Amino acid sequence: MKQDFKTFQGQGEAIVNHRFNNVRAWIPVLLACAVIAQPGFAAGQDNSAQSGAWTPNRLADGQPDVQGFWRPENQGTYSLINPRNGQDGKPDKDGKIPKRKVKPSRIIDPADGQVPYLAAARAKQQHVQANFNNPVSQDLVDPQARCFPGGVSRQQWWHNTEIRQYPNYLIIIGDADRRIIPLDGRPHIPGNIKLWMSDSRGHWEGNTLVVDVTNSNAKHRLSNEGDFSSDKVHIQERFSFIDANTYQYQATYTDPSVYTRPWTVSSKQVRANTDEPDFEAWEYACIEGEKNTDNYITEKIVSQ
Amino acid sequence: MRIINPNKHKHKFERSSRCCAFKQLSGIAICAVSIILLGCGTQPVKTEDNVASVGMPRTSDGKPDLSGIWQTLSTADWDLEPHQARKDAPPGLGVVVGHVIPYQPWALAQKLKNFENRATLDPRRKYFMQGIPRANYTPEPFQIFQSDKQLTFIYEFGQTVRTIHANGTKHPEGHIDWWIGDSRGHWEGDTLVVDVTHFNDQTWFDRSGNFHSDALHVIERYKPIGPDHIQYEAVIEDPKVFTKPWTISLVFYRHKEKDFQLLENYGFTFDYEKFYP
Repeated sequence: MKQDFKTFQGQGEAIVNHRFNNVRAWIPVLLACAVIAQPGFAAGQDNSAQSGAWTPNRLADGQPDVQGFWRPENQGTYSLINPRNGQDGKPDKDGKIPKRKVKPSRIIDPADGQVPYLAAARAKQQHVQANFNNPVSQDLVDPQARCFPGGVSRQQWWHNTEIRQYPNYLIIIGDADRRIIPLDGRPHIPGNIKLWMSDSRGHWEGNTLVVDVTNSNAKHRLSNEGDFSSDKVHIQERFSFIDANTYQYQATYTDPSVYTRPWTVSSKQVRANTDEPDFEAWEYACIEGEKNTDNYITEKIVSQ
Repeated sequence: MRIINPNKHKHKFERSSRCCAFKQLSGIAICAVSIILLGCGTQPVKTEDNVASVGMPRTSDGKPDLSGIWQTLSTADWDLEPHQARKDAPPGLGVVVGHVIPYQPWALAQKLKNFENRATLDPRRKYFMQGIPRANYTPEPFQIFQSDKQLTFIYEFGQTVRTIHANGTKHPEGHIDWWIGDSRGHWEGDTLVVDVTHFNDQTWFDRSGNFHSDALHVIERYKPIGPDHIQYEAVIEDPKVFTKPWTISLVFYRHKEKDFQLLENYGFTFDYEKFYP
C-alpha cells in the first residue's frame, strides 16, 4: 500500500494535497512533476475504439468486469489540442524556453483537432487562455485550482480513476469528485437542476459502456486553456473496453450555443497500479487544505 | 485492532441458517432454489439476527445487502445529546446511550466554548469532510454500494467518498491524520462491524461543538432491523477527551421514492459560482 499522494506522483499539473496548505507551495512540485516521464507517455494516441473481440469476466448482473484503477495513457489537462501535463518550461541559460513535447490533439472529430467554437465563444476561450498564468480577476482562476469538481470528461485525463461496479451501477471515483452512473434505464433528473458532475445514465453495448450526460452546471473548464461548454451541453460518452488492460474513452460534446457542430474528445486509458495488486486509494483532501484561493489572483481585486 | 479474519468464521453454516429463515419468513421462491443449492434444508432457524433482519435483501453469499440510499430522521447532527428546541436547532431526545457524553473536565469546558461559538466554528460550515460518525447522520442522504470485498459509502453532503474494506485487510500503520479515518469491516452474523481509526482532530461530532482528538477510535455496528431500516451504533473512544467510551444509537431509513438519487452539495463552491456563469 502506498500513501495517497504517492499515487499521483508526477501525474498532472494540479496535484493537491492537504498538507500543501499554502497554494503557492505546490507550484514547484507541479513543475517538477511535469518533467517526470510517464510510462507509455511517448506512445501516440490510439484513437481506435474497437471493442468486442475481448471476452471479459462478467459480474453477477451481467456487466463486463472492468473494476480497478485506470490512468490516462497521455495524462494532463493542460490542453485539449496539445495535450501535455505541464506548461512549457522556464527559460534556460540561453533564454530558450523548452517546449513540452507535442502530442496529437485529444480531439478526434473534427479532423483538424480543434474545438469548433462559435466566434464569440472562441473569443471567450482565448481571453481565459491568455490570462491563465496571470489571472487578474476571480473569473480567470481555473475552478479546478480551487479544488472544485472537474466535470465528467476532464476527470478522464487528469489523474487516475477507480471504477467500481455494483448491481445496476458503475461508479467512477476520482480525486476530488465521484460519479454515480445508474444502469437501470431511469430517466434523467429535472432539467433545471444543474450539477458540477452532471447527471449520468449508462448502459452496456457489448464491451462498451455508453453514458448519456446532461444537467451540467458547466462551471468547470475542459482544460487550462479556457475550453468550456454551456449548461445546455449534452455529452455522449463511450468507454470502449478493448482488452483487460485498455479502454478508449470518447466524449461527444453537443452544444449549439457554443459550438458550430458536435465534436469528440478521446483518451486512451490503461490499468494503473499494476505492480501492486493490493493497492488502495487513500483519502484525498483538497478543499480542506486550501486556506485562501484568492491568493491565485495576481492583482488585488477591489470589486468585480 | 479488532479486525477479524473472516476465514476464521464458520460462514457457511451461518449463511445456510440465515437462508432458511429468509425462506420461511419471506416465502420468496428464489430462496427455495438456494436451499437446494446450499443443501441447507435441515439447518435450524434460531438466531435473533435472523428474526431481526427479516426482509432485508441478501447478497449472493448470504450477507445482508445494505445497498441503497439511507438517511437519518434524528436531530443528531444538531446535537447528539438530548436538547430542547432552540433558534438554531430542532428538538431531539438525543442519540447518546445514557444521554450524557463523558467528557474530561477540561474537555467539557472546551465543548461549552465550542457551543458558544458554534455559529462560526463548526467545520460543517466550510463543507469539509465531516468525519465518522458525523457523515452518517448529516441530514442528507448517503448511498451504500456493497460487494464482498468492500462497501463504498457516497455522501451527498460535501465530497466524501468512504471505502469500508471488508476483505480481511488491516489498518495501515500510523498514526495518519485523515478526515474520515480508515475503515475496516467484517460481518458478525447479520451485523456489519467497522473499525475506524487514523483521524485528525479537525472535525466536530455535531453543530453543538461536541468534539474529539486525533486519538479518536470508532467502532460502528450496522444491523438490519427490517427491509428498510438499519440500526446504527457507534462506540466512541478517545482517552484524551473522554473519561470512558460512549455509544450513540440511531436508525437509518431507506429512501423509497421512485428514482430517488443522490444529488450534489459541494457547498464550498457557492461563494465562487457567480464568477463562473
